[in-house]
Amino acid sequence: MTAALIALLLPLFTALCLLLLRSRSGVLVIVTSLLTLLAAAWSLYDVTVNGPQWLELGDWPPPLAIRFQLQPITALLLVFSAMIHLLVAVYAAGSQHSKTRYTDFWPLSCLLQGSLNALWLSGDLFNWYVTLELLGLAAVALVALSGRKAYGPALNYLLLSLGASLVYLLGVALAYGRYGVLDISLLGAMTEADTTTRIAWWLMTLGLMLKAALWPFHLWLPRAHASAPTAVSALLSALVVKGPLFILWRLWSEGAPTELAVEAGPVLAVAGIAALILGGWSALRTPWLKSLVAYSTVAQLGYALMALGLLMYWQLPALDAALWLFVLAHGLAKASMFLAAGELQASLGSKRVSALRGTTETMPVAMFAFAVAGGSLIGLPPSGGFLAKWLLLEPMFETVNHWPWVVGILLGTLISAGYVFRVVALAFDRADPVPPDFSPDRFAHWLALLPALVVWGLALISEPLIHWLTGVPL
Amino acid sequence: MSLHEWMLDGTLGLLVLILAVAVLHVRSLYISIVLFIAFGLLLALIWARLGAPDLALAEAAIGAGLTGTLLLAAYGRVSERRRKAEEPLDWHAGPALLLSLIIAVILMRAVWPLPDLDSALVPAVADQMAQSGVGHPVTAVLLSFRAWDTLLELLVLLLAFMAVRQLLPSLPRQPEAWPLLQAWSRLLAPLSVLIGGYLLWRGSADPGGAFQAGALLAAGAILLRLTGLLPALGWHHFWIRALILGGCMVFLAIGVAGYWLGTGFLGYADGWAGPLILLIEVFATLSIATTLTLLVIGETREVRE
Repeated sequence: MTAALIALLLPLFTALCLLLLRSRSGVLVIVTSLLTLLAAAWSLYDVTVNGPQWLELGDWPPPLAIRFQLQPITALLLVFSAMIHLLVAVYAAGSQHSKTRYTDFWPLSCLLQGSLNALWLSGDLFNWYVTLELLGLAAVALVALSGRKAYGPALNYLLLSLGASLVYLLGVALAYGRYGVLDISLLGAMTEADTTTRIAWWLMTLGLMLKAALWPFHLWLPRAHASAPTAVSALLSALVVKGPLFILWRLWSEGAPTELAVEAGPVLAVAGIAALILGGWSALRTPWLKSLVAYSTVAQLGYALMALGLLMYWQLPALDAALWLFVLAHGLAKASMFLAAGELQASLGSKRVSALRGTTETMPVAMFAFAVAGGSLIGLPPSGGFLAKWLLLEPMFETVNHWPWVVGILLGTLISAGYVFRVVALAFDRADPVPPDFSPDRFAHWLALLPALVVWGLALISEPLIHWLTGVPL
Repeated sequence: MSLHEWMLDGTLGLLVLILAVAVLHVRSLYISIVLFIAFGLLLALIWARLGAPDLALAEAAIGAGLTGTLLLAAYGRVSERRRKAEEPLDWHAGPALLLSLIIAVILMRAVWPLPDLDSALVPAVADQMAQSGVGHPVTAVLLSFRAWDTLLELLVLLLAFMAVRQLLPSLPRQPEAWPLLQAWSRLLAPLSVLIGGYLLWRGSADPGGAFQAGALLAAGAILLRLTGLLPALGWHHFWIRALILGGCMVFLAIGVAGYWLGTGFLGYADGWAGPLILLIEVFATLSIATTLTLLVIGETREVRE
């Protein structure tokens, strides 16, 4: 538990020191991220060896205080967010085209990491509300770093995020009024399927869906993610939207009575399929490169939502593994895609998809990173995306009447392939390549490739990974 | 409840509804803002009637006071042409009313069956009050039992300030303050320090505490700055940064020290709870006061050099 606490507090302390000294030192943030990654890895090792652990804050007995809970998934998410954070910090410090080097990006991104780690570790409905507030404000401030043109999307994001927080808080208040406790594990043992509980859970779900940009509440996401600086887009898409998703998962799989979960599952799963198809369709049609990547986030979140919905509907804990593999694979692939897209558009001096003509010749590594990450989003074997999809499909193959879900997944896959190949095909059109306006930054291109390779590398450890995630000993 | 109380509550409830409708439907933006401030004060009264003086104080200081100042400052920047509030769109009214009714019915259905149940937490809090180091249950929850929430709330305030800083707001040029206003603020500012200090000190045994005290202090400082009696405050001063970050830093340091010494993260050693909580509250008050002051009247000329 000590290691997890270090991973939580180190970014917070760094942010406060940076602010106090008015320092914009990228090196310090990189060193801190590295240390945080080490601490997170240590906590992962700890939880694998010693099992789940609790930490009662202030040593007060459970219903009174907040307690941190370190589960295998929590530790994995700590490692995952530290990894993405380290990568993005190296990018923001190293790339020529990084627009965030001399801004408040550094303390803000540290605060973002701290709040996200607080969210992973918590298990308390009200404490989650506070971490959601922190996460939302940090994200809005980071979007606003882009300057005047981003103020509109940032304000939209802020208002929606505040509204969503209030809806969530209303749900929390109802749940507290009904049961008198806030700890999710304690609630899980008490909840009954009555009207108040149903409305409370749906209110919280509504707020979280707005925050996670799950269909049909995704409209704020593409503009906010596309107008943010590149490093920030990567953080937002890879990490921030996963926070509310995590709460949603704990809320339904741990806190809700089975009857309610079974009833709500199909609604979420259908919303997931709609996200896949409609988000993908928008990604196919948009003329802007970053919007395409942002819409693909909306679509890919559909898989996670569908996994969650089906997990609740069929009461299949095995789908947990599919859900979190989707989150990991999507986070890594999306970090790669946003960094590559940001570099490409900064070098080309154009934000349009059509400017990518012939980039396999002018900037092969960045385009390769985009294509490889795209492969995982489509779910080509043997990538991480494929593993997740396989786990999701497995229970569907076993029962005949589950075929409509399979059709949904197939359609989603087809559309993902459509928007990835739309870019890749254009990039191979070498007859008349668009010459870059600015010199490409090779270091940043290789950096963008890194997470994409990691996603494909997941296949190499797929068997132990799946066993570990599903809790089956080897 | 006696007839008088019914009448008082009924009048308050009716007034707050009337004011809410008026704020939305008045033609002039300026009057709308003034009514909104009155709305905040009335809401504070209602909180006081509901037996939540903490909330009443916070609502009066932040909901009516600082929000009102911010709205007026924003009004000062709105161009003459756009000052006329837009015509309320008639076709919106019907669907909006319907939606509100549906939501109201759903919420009624959720709230109605709630029994007057006593939360398991209330006896638990009462049980542990002796160990918490303070005498007021709200303060005990905020700074002992759920100190982590409060620490994160301080970070929320810091992040709100950081977010506003990115927008490079610049104050409109202040007109020369009238002598009468200056004289009044010279009188009011020390009073805000006095009442703020009192609220902070009483917070350990009665309603009150860091947020209310901080908001009051901020009100005094803003008054002085707006009347030109205080020099420009900015992030580039080290002491301003130290004040703003001090709350979080002291809180975190004490929390970590607790973990180090074996009393748990954010736990206080036996007998030390009272003094440590007071220390945290003092730094939190200063931090909240400075942050709120800078949020309203901060000079931010150097965000992106």
